[in-house]
Amino acid sequence: MSRRGLIAWLLAGAAWAQDARQIVEEAQRRSRADSERYEGTLEVIDARGRKNLKRWIYLRVGSHGNSKAVIRFTEPPEVRGVALLIINHPERASDQWMWTPATQRERRIAIQDRSTRFFGTDFSFEDLEERDVNQYDYRMIGEDEVEGALCWKIESRPRKTRASQYTHSLLWIRKENYTFARIENYVGRELVRRAHYREVQNVQGIWTPRLIEMHDIRRNSRTLLRLEKLQYNVPLKESEFTLQALRRGS
Amino acid sequence: MLLARLSWAYLKKHRLRWALTIAGVALGVAVLVAMRLANQAVLSSFQRTVQGIAGRTQLQVHAGDLGFPEEVLERVQALPEVAAAAPVIEAALDTGLPGQGYLLVVGVDMTGDRSIRDYEFDSGEEAILDDPLVFLAQPDSIIVTREFAERNGLGVGSRIPLGTAQGTRWFTVRGIMRPGGLSQAFGGNLAVMDVYALQYVLGRGRRFDRIDVALREGISLEQGERALRQALGPGFEIEPPSARGRHFEAILRSFSLTLNITSLFAVLVGMFLIYNSFSVAVTQRRAEIGILRALGADRSTIRRLFLSEAAVAGLVGALAGAAAGWLMAQWVASYVGRLMQEAYGVVQNVEGAPADWRLLVGGAGVGVLASVVAAWIPARAAARVDPVLALQKGRHQVLSAGEYRVRRWLAGVAAGGAALLLTAGRSPAWFYAGYVLIVLAALWLTPALARGLARGLRPLLAWLRPVEGGLAVDSLLQAPRRTSATVAALMLSLAMVVGFGGVARSIYDSLVEWVETTLNPDLFVTPNAEIANRTYVVPAELGAEVERVPGVRQVQLVRSARVPYQGVPVLLVAADVAKLARTVRRRPIEGDPEDMHRRTAAGEATIVSESFARLRGLRVGDVVELPAPKGLLRLPIAGIVRDYSDQQGTLLIDRALYRTWWDDDTVNVIRVYLAPGASAAEVKRAILEQCGRGRRLFVLANEEVRRYIFRLADQWFGMTYNQIAVAILVAVLGVVNTLTVSITDRRRELGLLLAVGGLRPQVRRTIWMEALAIGLIGLLLGLALGAVNLYYSLEMTRRDLAGLSLDYVFPASLAAWLIPVILGAAFLAALGPAAAAVRGSPAEALEYE
Amino acid sequence: MIELRQVWKVFLNGRREVVALRGVSLSVRRGETVAVVGPSGSGKSTLLNLIGGLDRPSRGRILLEGRNLAELDDDELALVRREKIGFVFQFFHLLPTLTCVENVALPLHLRGWSRRSAEARARELLALVGLGERLDHLPEELSGGERQRVAIARALAANPPVLLADEPTGNLDTRTGAEILTLLADLHTRLGTTMLIVTHDAQVARACARVVTLRDGQIVGDSSIQGP
Repeated sequence: MSRRGLIAWLLAGAAWAQDARQIVEEAQRRSRADSERYEGTLEVIDARGRKNLKRWIYLRVGSHGNSKAVIRFTEPPEVRGVALLIINHPERASDQWMWTPATQRERRIAIQDRSTRFFGTDFSFEDLEERDVNQYDYRMIGEDEVEGALCWKIESRPRKTRASQYTHSLLWIRKENYTFARIENYVGRELVRRAHYREVQNVQGIWTPRLIEMHDIRRNSRTLLRLEKLQYNVPLKESEFTLQALRRGS
Repeated sequence: MLLARLSWAYLKKHRLRWALTIAGVALGVAVLVAMRLANQAVLSSFQRTVQGIAGRTQLQVHAGDLGFPEEVLERVQALPEVAAAAPVIEAALDTGLPGQGYLLVVGVDMTGDRSIRDYEFDSGEEAILDDPLVFLAQPDSIIVTREFAERNGLGVGSRIPLGTAQGTRWFTVRGIMRPGGLSQAFGGNLAVMDVYALQYVLGRGRRFDRIDVALREGISLEQGERALRQALGPGFEIEPPSARGRHFEAILRSFSLTLNITSLFAVLVGMFLIYNSFSVAVTQRRAEIGILRALGADRSTIRRLFLSEAAVAGLVGALAGAAAGWLMAQWVASYVGRLMQEAYGVVQNVEGAPADWRLLVGGAGVGVLASVVAAWIPARAAARVDPVLALQKGRHQVLSAGEYRVRRWLAGVAAGGAALLLTAGRSPAWFYAGYVLIVLAALWLTPALARGLARGLRPLLAWLRPVEGGLAVDSLLQAPRRTSATVAALMLSLAMVVGFGGVARSIYDSLVEWVETTLNPDLFVTPNAEIANRTYVVPAELGAEVERVPGVRQVQLVRSARVPYQGVPVLLVAADVAKLARTVRRRPIEGDPEDMHRRTAAGEATIVSESFARLRGLRVGDVVELPAPKGLLRLPIAGIVRDYSDQQGTLLIDRALYRTWWDDDTVNVIRVYLAPGASAAEVKRAILEQCGRGRRLFVLANEEVRRYIFRLADQWFGMTYNQIAVAILVAVLGVVNTLTVSITDRRRELGLLLAVGGLRPQVRRTIWMEALAIGLIGLLLGLALGAVNLYYSLEMTRRDLAGLSLDYVFPASLAAWLIPVILGAAFLAALGPAAAAVRGSPAEALEYE
Repeated sequence: MIELRQVWKVFLNGRREVVALRGVSLSVRRGETVAVVGPSGSGKSTLLNLIGGLDRPSRGRILLEGRNLAELDDDELALVRREKIGFVFQFFHLLPTLTCVENVALPLHLRGWSRRSAEARARELLALVGLGERLDHLPEELSGGERQRVAIARALAANPPVLLADEPTGNLDTRTGAEILTLLADLHTRLGTTMLIVTHDAQVARACARVVTLRDGQIVGDSSIQGP
């Protein structure tokens, strides 16, 4: 899973009259790292306040558009060992495989409807995909303050080449460090999902929000994703991102 | 209105007779309606299941029972026309829960399946859909319907046992589906599992049964089908879900054809009852008709009077019949469902037959129509009654010599025509026309034959009881109309018995031969509890394991499955043909035994069953094009043999060829031949011990398989026998009816007998003798027509039903058995009328007019 | 021979009771020839049927050679008929499919006679009634008078002590009727059979030694005249 489309950095004190598109490009550039590893905690709190917790280890190599990632679930015990291999392609939807240790085999996951929820979270598969800057049109709305941070407020609309469940989104990008502060996704006039990016820390020179909260407005359900033990540019071999490696359960 | 009063008065006076007549129509209609309703119920339950599971599926990609490798899915998903493609495996598994029978398990890929199917869960379990992680991570996960859960007291977390390729395993209920949509399929006995887990459970490799496809918006079915066909090649069937119903219908059709014919026979027999009753009524009401005519009623009024009576009688009978048919259908439907399951492995969950108004009304309509048609000739006779003659006392109408002549002439023409048609052409239309003509000829000849036989019987009966016997025969001769209709009804039903009995007998004989020459291994090792079931498969390596068991001389691996051939599922049998050639001793119908086995073993040809060849008009040398996942497999036919594995036909190819073209090395039956002196029971135990651990494995002795096959045959014919029993029952009703009429007609005569010193037992015996005479005449004519009918039935079996050429053997033992049955039935039928005949004072009888 | 004491016969005609005989008492001696006359509906045929054991009285006693028919069951009555009674009917009631010989032999067959002896006896009787030439004819080939002769022969076949005839000439023209009467008279003298003849034919009545007149179910006249 990649957060690269969601999390971006920006140099402090950039020009005020920056073009909306340049701002988003800069955010993407600043988040760049060759590889990444973290331990994720995912907490889903549904409308009735029931909580569901999952943990995984996340590994990624490669950069923008050509990345490969492996997610291995560690909790709850029923899903321990289940692993996902994601291979992103710049020009088409990613390939995904899932490994289930109980049957000792992998399966291809065909994400035919990218608006479906990602394994019971409030993220949809689309929310977690890499978003290439070039597939959207941007418009500067103005400035806004989010949780005490001064932000640019930018509207993004998918181009025709990109199919999306959303008609448009509003992005809040912190002027201070070019990280995202908030994203609101709309279908027509209706707000469907809202994401908050908090606890921004500098990890190995990259400003990274360590807590993402996604709110599904329709279901009134929230998901908190916390990144722990985050490391960038760790030494990872390409060979660990293959089906064989998935089977080995390295 | 006034005329209706006349009818009513007559009807009231002869309540019993009308009740019997109406019962005849009712039975005929009931059988007809029951068969149709049941067939429809079975079909619609199948379709409900198909549709319930299909969801938003627009096209289905499949390749028969064998399935295809998983990679095909990616090729389908890659197509731009495809919006969603979901893999499916369907299997009916034994639940192991008391009284639940089969559970239809649908294997789907939960991660993407929602774009095809709606899953509605009872509240609180939504998580499974959005978070299938747990569901997928644990292969023992299963989702059941609320109905099934409630029936078995299951909740989330409950465990249920299922037979798997690894033996019985416990599964955990991880979700309960709400009623509606998917849950309606298979009568609610439905469960959903992960498709990959189900592969494992069934011992199948990385194969799917089917891919359900939803097309992108704006793509038409034709466009989608074309794109898929182009991408996948000829080895796949690409059809909308409704097509599966059509395939099932094809299987059901051959079964229902026999039933439809017997139902029609039953209606025909009922028609004779109507004809009989009306003929008698017209004779008895001649005076009444005479008065009406004298008072100015014209012929059409009289005809209308009788035809409306027929319509009303028919309507009452037909309505009662339709209702009874509906009740019968409940039972028949589950019977047919069970049969489809056992004979074809198409598991059904038929719960009753819902009333289909169109069918019920149609069935009732047939009843009314049959009744009116049957009453047509008597009504015409009534219209022709001469008022002057009719008013004269004491004159009875008998068939004139002229009438006999006309009928004999018609019969001759019909019989000649039938003979001509037999020699003329091979087309089915000619054949069936000839069949109808022969039956007509027999019917037209019945009065003359019945009269001749009655005369011939006279010495015999007179020898038995000089007075009673003679009187009984005279009574028959006096009233040819009354007698011959009943004789005709008996004749028809017996002809039917002999025809179908003969076919059944021939098929049994032929089955015995097949079992002995072909199904001759000592043991059959299979992962399925029944030999016709092909749900589970085992890896080919098991063969080697079995061969190592002491006492085993040889094993032959068989993989059989239904594959589509020109839209109809046929049975493909892939086996070690070279080995098979040495153990199977059947003589081919066409082709050289050496050569056909050699070429087939070499993968150059196929051996097909007689049914396969005949139903499609194929001969040795013709090329069969069989769709396989790797493309279109073209094989010339090297030999045609008798084989009863499948009704639609069987194709035998070598297993090596199968492995190449289907990319599958699984096996569903291992034929085991024992070493000389080895005990079957011991080897069976050894196989189970050495190979059966952690595996679902059954070892069936030859005897068990044989019993199973004959039980199936019994079931197959069972329904036909039931219908025939109904037809005989109707014919016996006819005998009761005729005798009732006979004693009414002859009240004065019987009174006279008493007056001139006859004792009541003597009168009773006269009636009994009359019944026996009718029975005997019906029996003789029935057996004769049966001999002809058997010929046509065998031809029909060969041409249209099963493609089997069977030897003509008259079922002599059946005929011998029929004699006491029919005579006994006739005697029983006579008891009531005979008792009625001696009731009341002879004085009244003498005054009776 | 025949003794009726206060015999009543009531029929149920729909819901209406019809009294056919109202306390008839009558005594017939062996060998007597009695004509029963009266208008239609006076109860003549009912009386005959009761005496012949074809029906049972509602009240009263009917003694035939000392046995009370009213107390017998159906099978016993049938036996009485077999032993004692011969019937002749207005409409002959011959079986149309049987020849003359067979028709006459019928009662004998019913009594268990062998075919041969029954037919021999039948031929004898047919000769007696003057039909020796038409033995193997079917009833439909005979004239009315001939048919009645066959019927008479049949009635006499088993040599019954009592012959009951119900309008034996009723369906015949006058001349044929006269011939039948002559035959009956002739047979009476030869066989000495007791005869009861129901008739409304004055000619028939005149031929009998005793005439009993019925009206509305009661005997209104009983006169004996000297026979010819």
